[in-house]
Amino acid sequence: MGAKCLLASLCLAFSGFGSGTAGAETLIINSYGGPYEDIIRERIIGPFEKRFGIDVVYDAVGSAQQDYAKIKATQGRPGFDLVVMTASQSLQGCKDGLLEQLTPSSIPNLNALQGELAAVAGACGAVHEVQYLSLLYRTDKLASQPSSWSALLEPELNKRVILPTFQNIMAVYLLEMMSVTNGGDLIDNVDPGFDAMAKISAQSVGFEQSSAILESYLREGSVWAMPFWNGRAQLMVDEGLPVDYISPKEGTIPLVATLNIPVGAANKDAARKFIDFFLEKSSQEAWVAGYRVGSARGDITVPDELKDRQLTAGPDGDRLHLPDLLRLQEKLPEWAERWERDVVPNAR
Amino acid sequence: MNSLALDLHPPARRRRTLAWFPLAALSPSLMVLSAFFALPMGMMIGMSFTQTETFSPTLEHYQRFFTDGLSIAGFCRTALMSLLVAVSVTVLGYPVAYFLARATTRWRAVVFALALAPELAGVVLRTYGWLIILEDRGFINDLLLHLGVISSPLPLSKNLFAVVVGLTHVVLPFGILSLMTSIQGIDPNLERAAQMLGASRLAVIRTIVLPLSVPGIVSSMLIAFTMAASAYATPALLGGAGFKVLATMIYEQVLFYIDWPFASVMAMALLLMMLGISFVGVRYESRRRSRASVSSGGER
Repeated sequence: MGAKCLLASLCLAFSGFGSGTAGAETLIINSYGGPYEDIIRERIIGPFEKRFGIDVVYDAVGSAQQDYAKIKATQGRPGFDLVVMTASQSLQGCKDGLLEQLTPSSIPNLNALQGELAAVAGACGAVHEVQYLSLLYRTDKLASQPSSWSALLEPELNKRVILPTFQNIMAVYLLEMMSVTNGGDLIDNVDPGFDAMAKISAQSVGFEQSSAILESYLREGSVWAMPFWNGRAQLMVDEGLPVDYISPKEGTIPLVATLNIPVGAANKDAARKFIDFFLEKSSQEAWVAGYRVGSARGDITVPDELKDRQLTAGPDGDRLHLPDLLRLQEKLPEWAERWERDVVPNAR
Repeated sequence: MNSLALDLHPPARRRRTLAWFPLAALSPSLMVLSAFFALPMGMMIGMSFTQTETFSPTLEHYQRFFTDGLSIAGFCRTALMSLLVAVSVTVLGYPVAYFLARATTRWRAVVFALALAPELAGVVLRTYGWLIILEDRGFINDLLLHLGVISSPLPLSKNLFAVVVGLTHVVLPFGILSLMTSIQGIDPNLERAAQMLGASRLAVIRTIVLPLSVPGIVSSMLIAFTMAASAYATPALLGGAGFKVLATMIYEQVLFYIDWPFASVMAMALLLMMLGISFVGVRYESRRRSRASVSSGGER
């Protein structure tokens, strides 16, 4: 009798568990922490869960490149269903066959993205946000507003500049922009960029990898200028700090952020629903207003204070430089060695 | 008498059981080590000889390691850093270990707790602590600037000095424990006898305790060296972009450049460095022991 009772209880318990998990679909999203997490939870994930009844588990561990390394190490089964990366990893992942191809038949809102920006990420990435590399500076320290990337070489900024390490893609883009500024190009002739970076390094206080740590130097005023993503720079402006940012006259390189699905993801349908939801007009408007970034959708309403500060592929095409990201990826090891040899030792 | 006879000549079946017992006892750990150490190690070695695109055998990654200049520099930096940490840990840990081995007062427990206290906090936490103390805007520079002793911050962080300080703090408890065990094995009567015969305290330490505690010193140096050579968090945080060691370089190759064959070569270099230094230490100790046993045998 006791054994029968025990068996019945176990059956009941397991059937209860089963119905619980089957009832609520779960989507595991790997993305970033910090202000990004707060804003995405409030403006995107919350409304998505409400509309579709899907539970989202948010994993904030790892940068885009670290996430891609995990996808590669697990042959496309990293344990998350959706990941926020950049166009570089999207292209590489598609080439390596590790990311799912995304099509408008399952994600209709892909058709609403501007073709040129959407194409940057290739067939496996859905562009949900666009930022650009800006020059962030302290308004209370600099005598006048800078207008060029060359401002980082001004004697006024001696020991007042901080640089990202080469493992932060900001450093690569800054190198490329210094190359363009000094007569080189984005990929094949970056010698002028390395020469300029060696000089900037000599007047820098050093290198930091994390954006949060880089930001802290400018916040406390020990550093007066640095390259930074415009979205995060805008968040600092919004906080009322004595800082501002510019898109220098030589132009800049966009950071195209993407949503991707690993080929071995367990909940691909839910991931596709999330991507479509994120690319909806209302979601993009909420995201742009909250995270202060640009969108690949041309039909959204952008808050007035952001309108003049954002660059889009159409009207600002001549100011946005789009490097061949696959070739850039191939060049990285060689450039990294050169960076370590020619740029880093000049600091201090 | 019967039981003694049984112990000396166990039946064949029991002998077989006894012969298998050590192997059976070892098998769980052997299985774990095979699955999680030997197999990945074999894969790593194989990967270091594999061409990335075609998967054909190649030595190109080793060639790159020896010719790019940065990898060899990283190897030498790792060796120098680990050696300095090993020496610092042993020199700083020896007096503490001696006190702990010989003291009988209640202070022994207090010092023991203090010696092991750093292990209560995680490595990253301790390293950030040192960063707050040593960085340009840190406690020491702030204090010296405030007192007018210096006009610009001293370079206390983002260099070899900072990493050696941080790692010494991390590894010191292990060095102390190793030295303490060795010193505890020395008969205190030897020290008392020497003192009764007129030797000074310093002479006793120099001529009796130090020579007899060489196994502990070697062991402390080996532990500190290998722990320092394989450390990642402390060199990454306190060394900064300009101070790359093999562990941080491997991390970059694995996660940022996704060049796993080259990372495997670096890991092999690190492994060989640690095996080499362990071999030298063990060899030195065994030769010293054999010399000691020959000389004591001659005296007899």
